[in-house]
Amino acid sequence: MRADNLIPLAWPPRFASAPPPPPGPRPFGAGHPQALAVAAAVFLLAAAALAQSPPADAAAPAQSPPPDTKPATYVGSEACQMCHEDIYNAFQKNPHIVVEKDKHRGFETGACESCHGPGSKHVESTSAADIRDPAKLPVAEADRGCLSCHLNRPTQVGRIQSGHARNQVSCVTCHAMHKSAEDLVPRRRAAINAKCAGCHTAEWASFQRPYKHKLPEGAMSCVDCHNPHGSLLSHSMRTVSANEPGCLNCHGDKRGPFVFEHAPLRFEGCTVCHEPHGSANPRMLTRAEVRFVCLECHANTPVTAAASHTLGGVPPSFHDLLAPQFQNCTVCHVKVHGSNVSQALLR
Amino acid sequence: MRIWLLVLAALPLAAQQTAPTAQETPATPVAAPAAPQTPAVPLTTPETTVTGSLDLGYRFNSVGGSLDTYRFVVDMGSGVRLLGLDLTIESAARKWFDRIDVRGSGWGGDPYTMAHLDATRHDWYRLNFDYRDVAYFNFLPSFADPTIGSGIFLDQQSFDSHRRMMDFELELLPGHWIVPYVGYSHDSGFGTGITDFVNGINSYPVEDRPRDSTNNYRGGVRLELKKFHVTLEQGGTTFKDDQQVFTSTQNFGNNTSPLLGEQLNLTGLTQTYGVRGDSIYSKAVLIANPTPWLDLFGEFLYSRPDTSVNYSQYNVGQFADLATLLFYTSELDLLNAAAKQPHTTARLGFEIRPMRRLRVIESWTTDRLHNASSALLNQQILTPAMTTLLNSFTDLLVMNYNREQVDALFDLTSRITLRGGYRYEWGDGLTDGALISGAVTETGQLKRQVGLGGMSYRALAGLSMSVDFEGSGGDRGYFRTSLQDYQKVRIQARYQVRPSLVFSAGFSVLSNQNPNPAVNYSFLSRDNSASVTWTPNNSKRVTVTGEYTRATLRSDINYIVPQDFATANSIYRDNVHEASTLVNLVIPGFGANGPRLSAGGSLFRSSGSRPTEFYQPTMRFTTPSYKHISWYGEWRYYGFAEPFYLYEGFRSQLVTIGMHFTR
Repeated sequence: MRADNLIPLAWPPRFASAPPPPPGPRPFGAGHPQALAVAAAVFLLAAAALAQSPPADAAAPAQSPPPDTKPATYVGSEACQMCHEDIYNAFQKNPHIVVEKDKHRGFETGACESCHGPGSKHVESTSAADIRDPAKLPVAEADRGCLSCHLNRPTQVGRIQSGHARNQVSCVTCHAMHKSAEDLVPRRRAAINAKCAGCHTAEWASFQRPYKHKLPEGAMSCVDCHNPHGSLLSHSMRTVSANEPGCLNCHGDKRGPFVFEHAPLRFEGCTVCHEPHGSANPRMLTRAEVRFVCLECHANTPVTAAASHTLGGVPPSFHDLLAPQFQNCTVCHVKVHGSNVSQALLR
Repeated sequence: MRIWLLVLAALPLAAQQTAPTAQETPATPVAAPAAPQTPAVPLTTPETTVTGSLDLGYRFNSVGGSLDTYRFVVDMGSGVRLLGLDLTIESAARKWFDRIDVRGSGWGGDPYTMAHLDATRHDWYRLNFDYRDVAYFNFLPSFADPTIGSGIFLDQQSFDSHRRMMDFELELLPGHWIVPYVGYSHDSGFGTGITDFVNGINSYPVEDRPRDSTNNYRGGVRLELKKFHVTLEQGGTTFKDDQQVFTSTQNFGNNTSPLLGEQLNLTGLTQTYGVRGDSIYSKAVLIANPTPWLDLFGEFLYSRPDTSVNYSQYNVGQFADLATLLFYTSELDLLNAAAKQPHTTARLGFEIRPMRRLRVIESWTTDRLHNASSALLNQQILTPAMTTLLNSFTDLLVMNYNREQVDALFDLTSRITLRGGYRYEWGDGLTDGALISGAVTETGQLKRQVGLGGMSYRALAGLSMSVDFEGSGGDRGYFRTSLQDYQKVRIQARYQVRPSLVFSAGFSVLSNQNPNPAVNYSFLSRDNSASVTWTPNNSKRVTVTGEYTRATLRSDINYIVPQDFATANSIYRDNVHEASTLVNLVIPGFGANGPRLSAGGSLFRSSGSRPTEFYQPTMRFTTPSYKHISWYGEWRYYGFAEPFYLYEGFRSQLVTIGMHFTR
């Protein structure tokens, strides 16, 4: 069994603990010897317990030539440049070039191998099988290569639970490793939106509706509201001021706290009443007429035992909905997001 | 279970220090590679370089139909505009900066004015500055005009305002193990509008001047160490709202029927809101990977926003107090109030990889919010007889939300990953009872057990697909429209036939039912979308993108009509076709840098509860005129129509002629 089958999770070593830079051999997973032993033991025992099929290596016929047990070593980026000059040149404009130049990160003059692993065998054979290609690895394994440096960053705190991580959307789906800074991390709003719309087609289509947030116009981008790396809120919604929903970053007048709160705003957020991506209804409301947005909760139903756990069912018992005055609730309930003066949200 | 036992047993072992295990034996050094045949691009250029582009143009527009709706939906005006600025300055010397990026758009009167600056100096700092000025115009009589039946077209909830947002963040020593940072944000809104003054059984449209601003200050430090990361941030906000509502003309309001022979009216009003708020907040984030097979993460977030209110109102006219059947002509209200809302959020979790193919992610989240407020209202009826009413109010809102989720991801093969999980959400809420219900408080409960599942498939030939499912049998939700008995499915597929041709498709459905007879809620939404991108020859000649989405939504829920207590059904339907396309073409015969033509646009048609048509075709022609200068002409058309509200339709043509400078 190959060593990298045993301990794939340890690769590559963390920069902060990496040994001196190449050229020269670099022990695989050198930063976690005790953990590697435990992980290996756990893996072996678990694998036996679950009776998994043995790896292909174990089934190799006895008469086949013995595998080359000589481990690959680090050869430096200039060796890569010989054949991959276009990538090498493009990489000079990539922020990751700092890895190439910074001796503190452990891969000085060896940035290519910080992701692709030691390349001596590949240099000798020029075979793609002799080099690690993160694009062809299982997503989780490829991502761990990125996260070995980037896990400990604040934006990553939610990635472990984000929808992207769960659905095997790897880092390189959005971040081009070999190209310019803009390709690595898009900063222009149009580029960000195009990147997201490439997969989230239906969501982007919503922005072609008449009442929407102005993303197609370039006034906003998807990451103004969402953190693609994950968030503690649903739909990877950003938070501001610690734990407030990201909507309040621009709509500060809805922040409160209000003397008289409108409960849905706190319990289920803005999307109770609004379609933030776009709607055919003015003000991105979920219903065509304001009154139905309100009446679906304030249904005037008595508080029955079966429904006693729901909030806000009773009003508006005295309104005559046949009168035009009462057909648009916000005509009178002007402070529908919360009021500091009126419990009925009238002023 | 066996795996968990193994993992638990293994944990203490991980803490022990053992001698380094040589996983690979040192190999003989590889011979030095031959010198490259072509020189590499130098890592630094010998001087500071400036690259980028600038778009300057003049736009003509013509609008037919409702100008108010045009301003609500599009709002692009005529005149000279700085349509785009994109500069990158790179310094070879790297004395004060490595790179500065400056971007801007919409200067000269467009509804979205932007400026952005990024500056970095490796190992020293990273600076971001962002500025936006967004115009909001909102005047749709169909939205809120109770007098529309009389032929009076007046949106009583309209505004013509701006929101200005500015954000600044400076990060020091990026890339080091300790990274301090400071930030400042400012958000303000101002403008004019129409709102309603409500008094008794009548409401009066009056002039409104909203004016609010929020400042956010924050500072923190990130510690990025070998096996863990910590972010500590402390911040605060200040808020003020000085909205003013006033009128000095006679206004008979929305209820023109006399009450007991008296015609109610408003002849003068001054409402002044003096709202001040402040908040402190704290944020602590911990991520650790103590072993290669275990990641830990935790967050603790706390904020405590406070609000204090000084409100005054003076109104003159003819009014009625229904409780006492008293008619009066002037009133003075003074209110002092305060609210506090401590809000705590915490999350803790881990990802464990007990074996190569298996990952288990577990997390616990809690979110607790408690709003407590009090108000003292001094209400004085000045004429005909001086009456003073002192009322004190208290209000509360409590929300406790908890979530526990576990996901297991298993790599069945190197191309197929299966996912299954379970989420349990529970919580409770407490609010003051509604005035009409007579209840002192209302309580709500949340209890939801959700099954999770999914699959990801990545085939060799550029084919990938993911399936996501979650469903719950439904138990308790906070509101009648909350998720109860629901199933959500999302399928996405992408097929890259060749490097220049990509197809993708998506399907999602959400079905939610609440069969409680008092609710009888049925909700179903479906989205189907498909897109294609064709970029032959690396987009040198032609680029074609196209996308089509079909979305339907059906919602039915019971409510009781207030005037006759009959059960009625709130029905909402949305049936949408949406398509967009864009074709970029280099005109043949002029080389790769010759004239270009772009054509495309989008269409949106919906039928159902609010049928709408919205068309946005566009065409752009660009021709180079000099080394770094090109001319362009752009045509855009906006056509908007609503069969139920024909008076709100518009058609608009925008023609822009401009120059594009590049360097």
